[in-house]
Amino acid sequence: MVDTIYVEDEIIGTKKAQEIISKFRHAKVTSIKRFGEVFNPSNQNFRIQKTNPALILAKKQKGFVLDAPKGFGIGDQDNYYFSHMYNCLYDCSYCFLQGMYNSANYLVFVNFHDYQNEIVKTIKRHKEKKVTFFTGYDCDSLAMEPITNFINDFIPFFSRYKKALFEIRTKSINNTVFRKHDPLANCIVAYSLMPEALAQILDKKAPSVSARIKNMKYLANKGWRIGLRFDPLIYCNNWKDQYAELFANIFKEIKEENIHSVSFGSLRFPKSFFNKLLQYYPNSEELSFLRSNDKGIISYDQSIENEMNEYCRLELMKYSDARKFFYCG
Amino acid sequence: MIEKNFEGVSVRWVIALKGEAEEIIKNYAMERVETTPFPVYKNKDLDMWLILSGIGQLNAVAATSYLYVKSDASYNTIWINFGIVGSRNFKVGDLIQIDKITSSDFQDNYYPSPSAFKNNNIERCNLISVNKPEKLFESDGAYDMEGYGFFSFAKKIAPYELVSVLKIISDAPGTDLSKIDRHRVEILVSKKIQFIEKVLENLLDLQKIIFLQLRDPKYFDEICLQKKFTFSQKVTLRKYLTQWQARFPLRNPLEEIGQRMTASQILKKFSDNLLR
Repeated sequence: MVDTIYVEDEIIGTKKAQEIISKFRHAKVTSIKRFGEVFNPSNQNFRIQKTNPALILAKKQKGFVLDAPKGFGIGDQDNYYFSHMYNCLYDCSYCFLQGMYNSANYLVFVNFHDYQNEIVKTIKRHKEKKVTFFTGYDCDSLAMEPITNFINDFIPFFSRYKKALFEIRTKSINNTVFRKHDPLANCIVAYSLMPEALAQILDKKAPSVSARIKNMKYLANKGWRIGLRFDPLIYCNNWKDQYAELFANIFKEIKEENIHSVSFGSLRFPKSFFNKLLQYYPNSEELSFLRSNDKGIISYDQSIENEMNEYCRLELMKYSDARKFFYCG
Repeated sequence: MIEKNFEGVSVRWVIALKGEAEEIIKNYAMERVETTPFPVYKNKDLDMWLILSGIGQLNAVAATSYLYVKSDASYNTIWINFGIVGSRNFKVGDLIQIDKITSSDFQDNYYPSPSAFKNNNIERCNLISVNKPEKLFESDGAYDMEGYGFFSFAKKIAPYELVSVLKIISDAPGTDLSKIDRHRVEILVSKKIQFIEKVLENLLDLQKIIFLQLRDPKYFDEICLQKKFTFSQKVTLRKYLTQWQARFPLRNPLEEIGQRMTASQILKKFSDNLLR
């Protein structure tokens, strides 16, 4: 899978770095001073790198816990996210990471303890208030779990902080780590979903939607709380039928009481990200409906966006309590 | 073999000495087109050029930038620095592909993209660029006198994935450097020419991907010839035509354009059509 590993000199001797390196016996290991030497140079081609990504092991120096974007959340007032990894095993056509980073190499920060220390400080700062911590936005944490053991480290950690909600956003059907631990009331396993036919075109290398639903059912039956994430909602010719079928399929398998929250938001990008995506996927019909709005964001026409949100909200209300719905936009 | 019909092929070789370049020149049927300030060679059918830079970092940078201008190299050009090197941990005659480049003079390091190494089974190695022939070989890796200078410039004019440094081991600790003559170097290179071809083939595959990404959408040139578009209007037109192709592959956008329409009216028409 990975034939090149770059490792920062500072962390090459750490247990975590060695543990990860040992999983790739045939990879060539190259020492680097800072990850930016490999990850940041401009003039790199994301799509080409995606055909043979290298793994970069580094130490995060600052910015461990960041404010979630405004309007983003699943109920709590204070929302944060943290990323122990940049870039993803999957290759979804609409993924904003390919617009955001110069490199498609997998960058893993191995100093998990520094993240945990910062999370503790954040929780303490909020005293009695509930706080949500999101992970899985700059990577799919669960998909890389066999390599990083990230979730295996963070489930026991969050079990000590009941007022903090921990969301793991994923498309992975790897459930090994959830079998190792007892279900955690303050942990949400949140699945990104879209109609199967669209996912077959757009969610390259990711498990099928039916496999994701099957895994959600398995986890729900084990007692884990499930999040449904329809973000992005994708506009296409028969989108209404496709989304209606998707919602029906999900709720046929999963009881509403196991659902913690449902969130949705339509496809949107900063302008510069979108321009790169269009270059990478000139034949994508799905990207052809997007336009620049007056806020400099590329999104669907407002009428399409409103129609999609409203339709999905009403369809989902057939199966679930609307108080669990959150709009991300 | 190089696909001659593919319009995106564009290759530049930067090599210090004639002895190192001879086999490449022969293999790719290049002919001398210039003698000063640097000898320059070119294939008459393909956009493939080679320059003899002479020894040293400054020469490497100067020759690379000279060839860039002289050959009107596009952004999507493959740049290869090839030559002989010394090493304490490889055997004389080994072909190596460089994955890390350091310099005895500068702090920044460079890392050629692993995409360039895929599927070729050629040994990978770090390169230390020095200012005079290395005799001590204090570290593992390969020692040369041009790679760092070459890469520092080439990475600015081409995608990282298309810039490669390829070397053949010619000497080890204790080698009498005076005995590394032109004939001996030519033999070393000729033995590895098929592997060098393989590296180039891999780079050409990557070049094809980038070429298709950078290509203007269908009808872009025709429409720009018909009406006067400003720079920013051209950016928008390029975007709309790309989206048009994806959405209405059977509809010719030229047929949507009325004779009296202005550039902004054309853009508005495309935008309205693409809205839903």
